[in-house]
Parts: sequence; C-alpha cells; structure tokens
Amino acid sequence: MTEAAFRLRDIVQVFPGVRALDGANLTVHPGEVHGLVGENGAGKSTIIKVLAGVYQPAEGHIDVGGTAISPATPEKIHAAGVRFIHQELHLVPHFTVTESVFMGQELAGPMGLATTRMRRAAEAFMRDQLGSALPGNRLIRDLSPAERKLVQVARALIDGEARVVVFDEPTAPLASEEVLKIMKAIEQLKSRGIAILYVSHYLNEITELCDRVTVFRKGKDVAVFDEITADTGTELVSAMIGRELDAFFPATSRQAGEVALRLQGFSDGQTFEDVTLDIRRGEIFGIAGLIGSGREELVDALYGLRRRASGTLTLDGTVLDTQSAANAVANGMVLVPRDRRHDGLVLPMTVEENATLATLDESSSLGLIDRKRIREVTQKLIGDLDIRPANARAVTRYLSGGNQQKVVLARWLAKSAKIFIFDEPTVGVDVGAKSEIYQLIENLASEGAIILMSSSDPIELVGTCDRVAVMMRGEVRTIIEKDALNVDHLVAMTTGATDMPEVAHAG
Amino acid sequence: MQANARHQKHALATFVGLLPLIIFLALLLYVGLNAPNFLTFMNLKLVLAQSLPVVLAVIGLSAVVMAGGDDVVSGGIDLSIPATAVLCAGIVAVITTAGLSLVLAAGAALVACMLVGGINALLVTLLRMTPLLTTLAMFVAVVGINNVITSRRRLDLTSDAIASLRQDFAFGLPLGIIIVGILVLISYHLLHRTKWGLNLQAAGGSRDAAEISGIRVNTLVAQSYLLAAFMGFVTGFFILARGNGYSPGTEDNLMLEMVLANFLGAAFSPRRVVTMWGAVLGAVLVAAISIGLKTIGVNVFWTDLIKGALIVTVVALSAISERVR
Repeated sequence: MTEAAFRLRDIVQVFPGVRALDGANLTVHPGEVHGLVGENGAGKSTIIKVLAGVYQPAEGHIDVGGTAISPATPEKIHAAGVRFIHQELHLVPHFTVTESVFMGQELAGPMGLATTRMRRAAEAFMRDQLGSALPGNRLIRDLSPAERKLVQVARALIDGEARVVVFDEPTAPLASEEVLKIMKAIEQLKSRGIAILYVSHYLNEITELCDRVTVFRKGKDVAVFDEITADTGTELVSAMIGRELDAFFPATSRQAGEVALRLQGFSDGQTFEDVTLDIRRGEIFGIAGLIGSGREELVDALYGLRRRASGTLTLDGTVLDTQSAANAVANGMVLVPRDRRHDGLVLPMTVEENATLATLDESSSLGLIDRKRIREVTQKLIGDLDIRPANARAVTRYLSGGNQQKVVLARWLAKSAKIFIFDEPTVGVDVGAKSEIYQLIENLASEGAIILMSSSDPIELVGTCDRVAVMMRGEVRTIIEKDALNVDHLVAMTTGATDMPEVAHAG
Repeated sequence: MQANARHQKHALATFVGLLPLIIFLALLLYVGLNAPNFLTFMNLKLVLAQSLPVVLAVIGLSAVVMAGGDDVVSGGIDLSIPATAVLCAGIVAVITTAGLSLVLAAGAALVACMLVGGINALLVTLLRMTPLLTTLAMFVAVVGINNVITSRRRLDLTSDAIASLRQDFAFGLPLGIIIVGILVLISYHLLHRTKWGLNLQAAGGSRDAAEISGIRVNTLVAQSYLLAAFMGFVTGFFILARGNGYSPGTEDNLMLEMVLANFLGAAFSPRRVVTMWGAVLGAVLVAAISIGLKTIGVNVFWTDLIKGALIVTVVALSAISERVR
C-alpha cells in the first residue's frame, strides 16, 4: 500500500469531564475519497480539529505524508498541504468570485493588485479543477449555494499546495441537484491524487462517493469499510449506533380521520401559486420539494411569517387566522422551524425557560411566574421526550442538535396545540435522536393532531408520512398516496426526473 | 416564473438602491431651474471649494465603514472625525495666534488627533465596544476639550500658508482643490487597489470570512480609525482656510454632511456598498445641495431639517434595498 496521505494514531483528547477521543485512529490514502461517519458526539468534529492543529491531544501521533508533526499547529498543518472546507461558507456577499478566491492571499504587483492575473487564475481554477465556469467578476450574492461552496473550495486550493482536503458537511444546505455539482468537483480533485476526507450525515452521499469509510462511535473508530456499495448504507447505520436499527421509523396502525385542515388557492405572488391541499385529522402530511420549489415559502406563509397574496385556510369549515405567527399560535397552529438555532430557541436561556416560553401566561398569575409549576411542567416534558441531560436548568446552547429539537417540541407540547408544522425536523440530528423524534411525531398524530411535515429528505418523508405533496416551481405537482409512496418514486417526482400528466394542478 | 420573480426583485433592489441618487439629482435640478446661474463654472468651483472638508472627512469615514461593515448599528462608523477636525483647527488657531510657528502648531495638532484615533481604535478592538456609541462619546468629549482650549471664541486666521489653500494655483483652480484631488487619488489607490484595501473591505464584509482567510481583522480596524483621525487632522486646516479662521460650532454641520455623504455614496457603487470614491462624490453632491438651497434663499434652519431628513431617507432606503434583496 502507498504511503498514507495522513495518519492519526491512538489519539486521546480530554475535555473537562469528557473523553472526547479515546484512542481514535484515522488513515486516509492519496487519491481516495474517505468517508467519516458517526452520530453527533461520536468525535467526528473533535478529530478534525485535532488534525487541524486546533486541539492538542493528550496522547497520540499525527503524521502527514509520512512525516510526523509534533506538536501540530494550524500553521504547520497548513504548510503540510492539509486544507479544510468548513461547513459555514464564510464569504463576503458583495465580493466578486475573484476577490473571494484570493481573500487573504491576493496577488500584487508593483502598482497594487494584479486584478487581471487574479481573475484569470480564479476562472481557470474554477473551470479546470472544479468543473464550474463562473465569471470572475460575478458577485457572491448572485451565486447559487453550490457555486458559493465551490468558491470556498477554490479559496482553499488556489495555491496548488493542497494534498489533503477535508470537507465538513459540504452539502448540508444544498438541494439534491446541487449536490451533484459538489460531487463532480470532488471526483475531479480525487483524480489529481488529492486525498479527501468527507464528513457527512447523508449516508447516500457517502456510499455513492466514498472509496472507504471509517465509522466513529464514542470517541473511537469502530469500523473501517474498504468496499462500498449502495447496500453498505445499512451496515454503516448499524456500526454507527452499535445495534440493529429495526425500528428506525415507527410502526403504525393509525387510521387518518376526516379532512380537517383545508388550504385553498394559496399564493404569495412570487414563489408559489395556487396551492390547494386537504389534510386529515390524525394524518402526517408531507411536503416535498427542492430548495426553490416554494416549499419553504409555503410553510412560512402558512404560519404568517411570509405575506400571502391570496388563499384561505379553514379548520373544520371555519376560517383560521394565521396572518401573523402570534395569531397562528393563538389558534392552535405551531411551527417547529427549520433553523432552530435562530428561529426556534433562545440559545442563552435554559431548557426550562425555552420550554415554557409560549405558556408563560398559563403558568403565571398577576404577571408573576409560578416557578414551582413551571419546574413541574418542564420535568414532565423532559421525561416524556427523554431530553438529555435531564436538567431543566441546562443552557440550551450546549445541547446536541437532537436535544435542542426536542426542547422546541416540548414548548409546543406544553401549549397543547392542534396543528403541528414540522419544517426539516431532523436536520443536524443524529440517527438515534431522529428515531425518537419520528416516534414523537407519530404519537402526536395518533392522538388526533394534524401534522404537516416539510422536508428535503425523501427517506424521512417516505418513512413517516401518510401522503406527500410534491412541489415544483411553485406548484403542487402531485400528491403521492401511501400505497404509491416509495423513495425512488418520490425522488423522481421531486427532481422532475419523471414526466407527469398535469393533474394535480387543475385542482 | 421564479427566475422572473428573482429578476423583478433584483430590479426592485436596484431601483431602491438608486433612489437616494434620484432624489438628490431631482433636488439639484429644482435648484438649477430656480437659480439660473447655479450651474456655471464659477459656481462649480465654489461648490468644490466648499466641499473640501467633507470630502476629506468622508475619506476617513468610508475607510472605517469598509473595515467595520456597513451595518448602521453594529458596523464600523467614526462620528468623532468632525471633532478631531475642529480640535486640529482649534489647536492650530490658538498656537499661531500666540505668534508661534505653524510647524509647531501642526505637530501639536497631529499628536492630539492621533491620540483620539488611538483611543477609538483601542476601545473598539480591545474592549469590543460599539463604534457608534464609542465615537459619539468621543465626539462630545473632544469638542469639550476643544472648547476649553479655544475658550469657545472666534479666532481669525493669521497664517498665510493656510490662507494660500484658497488662492488660485493652476488651471484656474485653488491649491486646496488640487491638494485634495491628489489625496483622493492616493486614498483611492490605497483603499481600492491594494492588498491592504481589499483586506480592509473583506474585514468589514464578513469578519469570520476574513479571519479564516488569515486576515488580521483587529489590526485593520485599528488602522482604519488611525487613518480616520489623520484625515480629521488634515480636514482641520481646510476648515481654517474655508472659514478664514476658527469658529466654534463648525463640527455639527460637518458631522451631518459627512454621514449623509458617506451613505449617499453607496448609491453610486454598483455593489451598493460604501466605497471611498462613492463617498467623495456624495460629499460634492451634498455641498452642491447646501449651496443650492442657500442660493434659492431657503432659511438655514430649514436646511438642517432637510439634511436630517435626507440622512434618514438615505439610510432607510439602503436598509429597504438590503431587505428586498
């Protein structure tokens, strides 16, 4: 076997109270795409930071290209040709492609910046190395998310010194067609002999793209897969969680009731048009659609976060006022938002404060908050939802993604709402917590709640929903019934791979 | 349909971004129609000469805004520049009136001005204070000190060297206009054509992005405040030349026109962000409006109201344009 591009051996990283890495190994060879998977908290981010020289591990060896680096500092690692593509984009919206690619490493001549030279180099790099012909004077804010990601990649690699590139969740904010662009770029880098470490929650991407995969669990590498096929996905899942996941999605014998919630002729005049849907009581109704299909905007408009140009919403025949979020909540409709860190939670507040934010009126008298009552309510919710740590006074900022999502949910359970809208309920949530969240949603439906679930994850929609409406270019393209609901069909519909007689849109 | 909608949105954002410019040009046209000899060469020269202190101040301000970001509340801003300018004017006037040399006066003023800039830089970068509040407080404090130094009285100009800034020098243009023209070109090169300038803009555009790219954001921000203080120092001499001496209270109008010019300038830039050359054009436009309103006989107090209203309009429109996008 050839010399490893980098090798991390027996790494131990201790934080106060936690052994984040406990003798972890990770080896990546030149010219391979190596997947790194694991649940949240398995140590993926920690080992990346160890490799980056950000953390100094208590024990272990780091070598890059056969040379030991000790102690590893960010400068030495960079000099050894290791580059990191962070999850966040970190770009200036009003900068051009050229300026962004060369940020901090500008080329200058005696008369100031060598703008033409930089522009040619940036355009050539984007075109030849990443397969994306972008004009160098285009502004970042006019680019699609995938193009922005590629600009970020170009910035890390433009100096031509890169030998190892670490991608941390590069596709998280992208629609599936955009993911292809990133994957193509990665294939191209690989063909030049660059070693790639690909960290992602999306196992389908991992099985499609990676040559080998290392699975982390509890701060250790628990398995390395040398041969990856489409079927490796299930094996990866069981290695990640250490048990067979037979009940990943909840089993159900639930029967949906009568049509209760009716959307008629919803339009915002811009991103979606004439959306009409009938949703039953006790039903989990899915909405699928790529970014830009109008799916997110429809959800926002339903909840009063976005102005609607026309359309009525009725519950059991009477008009439901959700023109503002406050009205929606007052009328029993609640939203678990897609960006929970910004829209869903007050991060510096405790679990207790967040969970009871919407119900302060009910647990206070004469403007004074009844602390004891709040504590009881919160403790019950923590127990019901299995929020970890089970500490009402824990600050939500330090909870994992899955537990943060449960806190958002806890708030609305305290409110006893009738209609729940889940927008991307499991983005950034690990596999174990996902399964629990699906069960919670299923329980709500069984108790007769009306559930709308908007998601970009087809597997999630197929696994949990009774019916799924597919949106495309602002219209409901079709509604897939339970018996026809499978991943292939849903993806084909969502991406427009299958042609479809125009039926749904007449209604 | 979506591409179309995005296109419409883009067009709307562009229109809103250009609106401040349209309002200003309409106002100028109105003045031109009511005062026929407003748009002549002599008057244009007067407008330029009148605009010099604002042009200088706004070079400093635009550098600070570029380095700190153009968010009106949390971004970079230096309201203390006008105070630094009158501090320089005050110190120079007092020392030269006492019969001491201009070089000594300029040296003392430079030290005082850079001290103000240094304190601004420390407060904003080390203590992470909001630039808006920090420099507003600095403005008040420095004006206070200046009132102590000058006893808040009028001091006539005694230095011929400063007065010569007003004299015609070449091509029928006064020395002052030529000097400021050269300074504008140098600053343009520095802020828009060098690595330093581009890094400055990166720091203001996205602090995180700049830091990840290895740019020393704090150093750049600190340097921008020092540059602003230096421009304040230079402005001081032009205030003395324009007013034929030191008059208390000059700072208020300078502040108003500087802020207006800076944010108006964003409308000139195709990217709708604050740029140095946009701000300079804005400064000239603001001077033209001031003189124009005076020419058609608008009451001075009304002029202040109009300028204040224009600032609110310009900043509001830039916020709206940002939201539409």
